[in-house]
Amino acid sequence: MAISEPTDAPDDGATDDVATDGGTATADSADVASETTTDEHYLVEYLREHVAHAFVVAFFGLYPFAHTFLTGSLVGAEMAMFLPRVQTMITVFYFGLFAMSFDFISGYTGYLSFGHSAFYGLGAYFVILVANGKVPLLGSGTPFMMLLLIAGILAVVMALVMGSVAFRLTGVYFAMITLGFAQILYVFFSNWDYLGSNPRDGIAVLGRQDGFSIGVPYVDSLNMSIGQLQGDTFTWGMDFAAITGIDALSPISHTIALGPGEVSYYMVGLVVLVCYFMLQRIIHSPFGRAMIAIRENEERARAVGYDTFRLKMGAFAISGFFGAVAGGLFTGYRTSVAPENSFYFLTAGDALLASIIGGFGTIAGPLFGRLFHEGLHEFLTKEGGGLLPYLRSHLGEGTLNTVILDGFTVSEAIEVFLNGRAGLYIGLLFVLFVLYVPNGLLGTLRGYLGGTVAGQVAAAVKRRVRGWKL
Amino acid sequence: MIPLVSLVDAVLHFLDPAVLARVLFDGLAKASIYVMIAAGLTLIFGLMGVLNFAHGSLTAIGAYLGGLVMVTFAASASGNVGRIALFFVAIVVVFALLTAFGGAMEVSLIRPLYDRPPLYQILLTFGITLVLEELLRMVLLFYDIQPSTDWLEAQGTRPEIISKTHDVFGLGVEGLEVFQILLGVAITAGVWIFLTRTRYGLYIRAGSEDGEMAQALGVNVHQAFTVVFGVGVGITGVAGALLMWDSAWAASIDLGAEVLLPAFVVVIVGGLGTFRGTVVAGVLVGFVDAFTTELFTSNIVGFSALPELFIFLILVGTLVLRPQGLFGVEEVGGH
Repeated sequence: MAISEPTDAPDDGATDDVATDGGTATADSADVASETTTDEHYLVEYLREHVAHAFVVAFFGLYPFAHTFLTGSLVGAEMAMFLPRVQTMITVFYFGLFAMSFDFISGYTGYLSFGHSAFYGLGAYFVILVANGKVPLLGSGTPFMMLLLIAGILAVVMALVMGSVAFRLTGVYFAMITLGFAQILYVFFSNWDYLGSNPRDGIAVLGRQDGFSIGVPYVDSLNMSIGQLQGDTFTWGMDFAAITGIDALSPISHTIALGPGEVSYYMVGLVVLVCYFMLQRIIHSPFGRAMIAIRENEERARAVGYDTFRLKMGAFAISGFFGAVAGGLFTGYRTSVAPENSFYFLTAGDALLASIIGGFGTIAGPLFGRLFHEGLHEFLTKEGGGLLPYLRSHLGEGTLNTVILDGFTVSEAIEVFLNGRAGLYIGLLFVLFVLYVPNGLLGTLRGYLGGTVAGQVAAAVKRRVRGWKL
Repeated sequence: MIPLVSLVDAVLHFLDPAVLARVLFDGLAKASIYVMIAAGLTLIFGLMGVLNFAHGSLTAIGAYLGGLVMVTFAASASGNVGRIALFFVAIVVVFALLTAFGGAMEVSLIRPLYDRPPLYQILLTFGITLVLEELLRMVLLFYDIQPSTDWLEAQGTRPEIISKTHDVFGLGVEGLEVFQILLGVAITAGVWIFLTRTRYGLYIRAGSEDGEMAQALGVNVHQAFTVVFGVGVGITGVAGALLMWDSAWAASIDLGAEVLLPAFVVVIVGGLGTFRGTVVAGVLVGFVDAFTTELFTSNIVGFSALPELFIFLILVGTLVLRPQGLFGVEEVGGH
């Protein structure tokens, strides 16, 4: 399925994204892409370049079904322990997009935007404030897709204002001034009474009855609502046996029913996928190459004639746009937001974790980094069938009450060392990554393959499969 | 935003000698705290250019270690003199332990990163702070201490002279604030002597000025880095121990985040590699904090987060007008 129609991801109902993009300054990736022979249709070449993307899209598209199937199988308990739930994957999507936007500016131009949470918070608050009718000129029923777009444009304006000041500085000072801006917004949004009755605890969608929907604005049939509660359900196919009452028809009766969780998963994933391709396209454009030139040697980039200030401003604005879209998706799905999980600087810290683990200076890497983070987090908490319920039900009373040392039992040890301790292990892993795997998962894979993953997969396909014609 | 009439009221309010004296005194106490929490950070940042993100968690660890010493021996040291003497013992213990820890951290973790872009040091210390915070949380939970609320047992070891409010010339003066000002001055003087009267102080000043030249002239920069990182972390721990007695800060896991950002602001505003700049910036931030707090408590401005907001406005304003910081040297400013 994947190979024949790689660019049709949205029609697959699939989600998500990723795979790799290109970004290293190594010459290989460019060479791979340009290794074309004239007798091939450009479309063939184009499709081939996205084979790796198609595999990843197929993986995420099939994940909810695989999850249902595997957790219901013989090794269901083990699978439920290891595999993240579908609603966790939605978090991975929108936060992954935020981490991508963070990496877009930080990983590609080398300017660490430590206050990137400002954009995420802007998008997140904007969606809820409009839904509560607190933004002038915009009615509370404004389509969600429009909100995402407007939030993104506001973020572009904010990025240009912030950038005009911040890009006079470099290195640590740039990181600090963006952090300063984000913290000002954080303090402001934690204390502004206009937002809601208790701004420190955050705000939630109050009046709006219908959920936020993703699709084509103003065309009802092309929209699907997302949300934990208000999300749409979706049924595809026909159950002929049930309709006609004839049991013999059951072999041709197939339906696929998706709950609100799955619909949200696909719709959020779809937006993230589109955003991913936009970011990837920008990175592969001359503009993106110039961004990398700034990271590698800004003075030289300026010397050869690039207006680096405008390039940096452009990159920051684009990055801010997608950061705000990610924030909008976050509240569109969750319908509530608090200053702590949006504007606070540690939100950008989480994006940094995801970027480093997934691959600093890759577009898809941060999403995988976030997947890893969320997966480990869920694995080590009580909810969602992680390690703890598994151990508790499989170890038996005797083992759990065994005293290790001085009245300290096994179950207490589990409670202290494992329950909710994902932060510790993620932190340790992060330190190890910074020290020994500075390129992250995707960057290392790229180094091992000798080029971007998508480019190398395309080259491999080209070597194996010859003579495609259109 | 404030109408003219209330602006006049506000000015008149601050012209009242009692109010003015209180604001200045509070400002001095707050300034001492800001200088103390930034002192360790500025030593490290000045010499090595490493912005230590683990600073906050190290402060929290210092607070808990100091509290541990106090709580353990509080029973055998009663009375004002005994408690204060015990407190100095606690400071020495915290300083020794954290200096050793900081030195080990530099050798094992930070040293491999010197030849990488400077941002990797931010990343690494950011990772270290996550690990330290979780380890601290684990230890606290193990000993049944609530990690996210203030450790009141340690606060309870304050001697009477420090907890009560003294009456001086009709003004209420908190013993704790006097103690903080005295210690702030003492620590500032101590660091000043370390910088100007010791060999490593000379190395730090030389290294901040021109690291390569210092190395060429025979300074063992590697060793200096280890010592400075250790001492910087040690001072950070001592600052934590001082905050343990103050109910506005107190020992808790959250102390890390509470301390980290103001400390950054003070160091950046002061300028890279100048302890003088850090002291001036600390005093500035302290007085602005005291002044804006008074604005809120006397109901002139109804926005409770005014001090917090102003701290970051100072940061942004300084970086816009004078990117190298108040006392920073321009060439050293950009990395």
